[in-house]
Amino acid sequence: MATPLIEARNLSVRFGVGRLTVAALDDVSFTLAPGESLGLVGESGSGKSTVLRALTGLAPLSGGSLKLGGVAVPTPRRMNFFTAVQMVFQDPYASLHPRHTVDQILAEPLAIHRIPHAETRIVAALREVGLGPSYRFRYPHQLSGGQRQRIAIARALILRPKVVLLDEPTSALDASVQAEILNLLEDLRRAFGLAYILVSHDLAVVAHLCERLIVLRQGRMIEETTAGALRDGSVKTDYTRAMLAASGGFTRVGPTAPPTAPLRNT
Amino acid sequence: MTPLLEVEDLHVRFPLTEGTIEAVRGISFTLGRERLGIVGESGSGKSQTGRAILGLTARPGEVTAKRLAFDGIDLMAAPERLRRSLRGSRMTMVMQDPRYSLNPVMTVGQQIIESYRAHKRVSGRDARRAALAMLDEVRITAPDRVMALYPHELSGGMGQRVMIAMMLITGPELLIADEPTSALDVTVRGEVLRILDQLVAERGMGLILISHDLEMVASFCDRVLVMYAGKIVEELASGALDQARHPYTRGLIGCLPKLAGDSHPLPVLTRDPAWAR
Repeated sequence: MATPLIEARNLSVRFGVGRLTVAALDDVSFTLAPGESLGLVGESGSGKSTVLRALTGLAPLSGGSLKLGGVAVPTPRRMNFFTAVQMVFQDPYASLHPRHTVDQILAEPLAIHRIPHAETRIVAALREVGLGPSYRFRYPHQLSGGQRQRIAIARALILRPKVVLLDEPTSALDASVQAEILNLLEDLRRAFGLAYILVSHDLAVVAHLCERLIVLRQGRMIEETTAGALRDGSVKTDYTRAMLAASGGFTRVGPTAPPTAPLRNT
Repeated sequence: MTPLLEVEDLHVRFPLTEGTIEAVRGISFTLGRERLGIVGESGSGKSQTGRAILGLTARPGEVTAKRLAFDGIDLMAAPERLRRSLRGSRMTMVMQDPRYSLNPVMTVGQQIIESYRAHKRVSGRDARRAALAMLDEVRITAPDRVMALYPHELSGGMGQRVMIAMMLITGPELLIADEPTSALDVTVRGEVLRILDQLVAERGMGLILISHDLEMVASFCDRVLVMYAGKIVEELASGALDQARHPYTRGLIGCLPKLAGDSHPLPVLTRDPAWAR
């Protein structure tokens, strides 16, 4: 088997000290092959976003090892890490600088990495995400939510990364816009051979975009499964089954029916 | 018998310097003691409809209607005093995100008791007892303990249950829930909906559930109104999503990724300007 693009072994992240320590991630291991797409699902607080933050160095690792292309990743991350790994955030209303034009937003990664011919790269990047050159000198507030998320994707892709980390990329968007962004992500993946790690609470979105997925709960991996297993319902743990049932909409089961998942009343 | 709520030709307009924006453009419906869903995308006017019914339209918005009546009371002609006394006691609203809608510097107990005593002349002790009973009704396991907590100490699902408790303690007849579950996890969402469902059934309330999530609303409500650009484009019976006629509704259903029978690429909604006419 070829070397995996990302190899994460026994990752753990702890926040707080002493008695107040919280294990946000506990012994999480996975690999990502080039061009593969991996989903991370779980409830809020399950640590799914922390995995992405730990990969990029935004959350400090307290244990475990991380390899990119077979080479150990140092902390702090070097420049070459970010040319290979880029991230798209959940809320395009918050992740774009409100006082920078699209041009400035897209020029920044190029300037940081000293990449020449910025102008042609920016126009090409806009075209890749389905926006014309007329969007170059607009401010984020002049764009719709879907257009903003396209800009955020263009910013991530402009460095030609191998892996894009997607943190709930469509959950702030309307259903019709979500479909457009999901289609765009699929097209880009095919065109550039990208690998994705997608964090989402929406099982249908994960199954749409990813072949393989990991279910997290309270910082631990509780199941590794495939989109196919999700579709035909052959998942192994009760927890995943409960999530699957809950995502199917509301079912009226009589007044005394037990809740589908344990109450989290703490 | 008069219906609980009558809405006829409701308009909500916002006069701005760049011209008037019409958020709601002449919608009509009636509501009995049932669960009605209003579905639409952002900007469709669904939240403004809910706010206009309660009289919470932000300034400089203007509300006009041929008829807007709650239990036979003409709300358009009602003085502000009467509307205020109705609001919170007989008609009420649950907001989207408990993190922003609860007062961060008051304990849960203080907030619930405050909303109760604003409408009922009762002693502090009785109000406390009612608050505890209400928290128990929304299935908070240790009401005593939760009463003393501040909103930041609650999880999302608990916060939403506290808000429901606060709104229902006065025994309203009409509850408008504006995206009550969209800030919650799918697993907690089912639980909150189940609590709402049970309370609505037990108390015989009318419920308007406003949401962007067509599938959730269709599985929960008796009837669904689909809004687009400030108008109702379609009315659907519960569980009859597959019988949707309007291209917008069909497009909305089609563009969702599905666990069963996924399609690549997803069909994209193409908007016809005629829908907004």
